[in-house]
Amino acid sequence: MKDTIICRCEEITLGDLEEIAKKHNSSAREIKLLSRAGMGFCGGRTCRPAIDKILTNITKENPSDALPLKVAPPVRPISLTDLGGFGKDDE
Amino acid sequence: MSAKNYEVAVIGGGIVGCSVAFYLAESGLDVILIEKNDIASGTSSRCDGNVSIVDKDPGFDSHMSWVSQELIEDLSKRLDRPFEYRKSGSILVCDNDDEMQAAVDWVKTQNEAGLKFNVLDRNDIKSESPFFADDIPGGLECETDSLINPYMFCYALVDKAESEYGLQVKTRAEVTNITKEGREFKIQTTNEDVRAQKIVNAAGVWAPFIGKMLDVDIPITPRKGHILVGSRQQPVMMRNVMEFGYLMNKFGRERIADKRTTEHGVALVLEPTESQNFLLGSSRQFVGYDPTIDIRVVETMARRALRFFPKMNDFKIIRAYTGFRPFTEDHLPIISEVKEVPGFYIAAGHEGDGISLATGTAKLMEEIINEKTETIIPKEPLSFDRFKKSEVYA
Ligand SMILES: Cc1cc2nc3c(=O)[nH]c(=O)nc-3n(C[C@H](O)[C@H](O)[C@H](O)COP(=O)(O)OP(=O)(O)OC[C@H]3O[C@@H](n4cnc5c(N)ncnc54)[C@H](O)[C@@H]3O)c2cc1C
Repeated sequence: MKDTIICRCEEITLGDLEEIAKKHNSSAREIKLLSRAGMGFCGGRTCRPAIDKILTNITKENPSDALPLKVAPPVRPISLTDLGGFGKDDE
Repeated sequence: MSAKNYEVAVIGGGIVGCSVAFYLAESGLDVILIEKNDIASGTSSRCDGNVSIVDKDPGFDSHMSWVSQELIEDLSKRLDRPFEYRKSGSILVCDNDDEMQAAVDWVKTQNEAGLKFNVLDRNDIKSESPFFADDIPGGLECETDSLINPYMFCYALVDKAESEYGLQVKTRAEVTNITKEGREFKIQTTNEDVRAQKIVNAAGVWAPFIGKMLDVDIPITPRKGHILVGSRQQPVMMRNVMEFGYLMNKFGRERIADKRTTEHGVALVLEPTESQNFLLGSSRQFVGYDPTIDIRVVETMARRALRFFPKMNDFKIIRAYTGFRPFTEDHLPIISEVKEVPGFYIAAGHEGDGISLATGTAKLMEEIINEKTETIIPKEPLSFDRFKKSEVYA
């Protein structure tokens, strides 16, 4: 169980999350920030529900408090050129 | 309600509040830190992590930054939890020959003030990063600048102060009202009331709301900024880079740039993070407390980044976020007692420099509260009274 990878982008296991929680007696938000779980390339689109569930279990925070790291736009990775390309209407 | 009466209550668990609480607790005072949400959940986790002199005006500003850098270096050895401290120096790049000329002058002035600045030429810039545009005329570097992870720094401070200096921390406790009863403050929060003899208002852009509870008008306004998180593909560069135009923006000086860049207050900042991602910034706008990501601003920023890093066109942006810089009219923070309300102090208003200046701020606040005659930096330029004077003479 401990070696189960929870966040594939950042390669974080269940054991990693539990260890951080134990070491620092952290809040759910702090565990996410310290482990970077859900903060990788996919922006947590794959692992977020799992991470939130696990952190809620570990910290006993009620779920509404446990989710301050929101899904943030852009929702999918996008290249710099697609964002700032010069083809767009300028000015 | 807890019957306990603290010597000092620090309101706001951002980088300023955490630093102030740390030095106060270390000095032996009985301190409580009160935070509305979680540690580092305000501006201090929605920003870059530059501890920089490179962008400070020579004189008081650069001196305060330098003092703060020394304190951070000291803390990097004393705190138990690492905070991604990297003393790599930082660079500014120029867009055009006008800026290059200004940069050369800037280096000269900073050198005369004894600071470690060097001019960089076209080739130096090339060797900083293979992704830079070929037509960048040059730039400059400041050797002593460093990078930290601001929220990890907050955790490290709180952790040490809690375990060794007896700091009490109360999170998920929004201060809703403050009354003065004799020489003591009664602080109402959403998670029990607190009593304290002194209060330090370190609530960043929210400091004015705390001030209002005691009828004190605090002239701080939110200056919104956007940041994009870029994904690691290949290492872009080792240290932080800003464009020289950033200085022009910051002090509202004349800068040559297109309309949209000017309107959104966009200037390039690229910060390599320890996780090997990079942060791309940033914008500067006065649009109240609305945290929404404005895609137009994001596009302007991406375009500005491509001006300096055209070869990063395929790099992927994975996230964006916004933060509020606590802006004051003269770009200096307020680190001061409030004469009208004895026992009430302010440590807020650091605009885009709160990460750089938090430690110097906190040390000074500790000295003010402990009534020391000698202070680490002069306190007059930072006094709350300075705003009253300008009202009278305006
Ligand atoms: C895009 C961007 C980039 C930046 N980059 C840099 C940089 O590279 N280098 C640098 O030096 N600076 C930078 N800054 C500036 C820096 O982030 C800020 O100056 C700094 O974070 C301010 O810290 P603070 O502790 O004063 O405020 P905050 O971190 O906002 O802390 C204030 C705290 O008070 C709490 N609070 C508010 N109201 C209440 C209440 N009623 N009761 C209890 N608690 C309350 C909030 O929840 C918050 O946690 C940047 C800012 C932005 C926006």
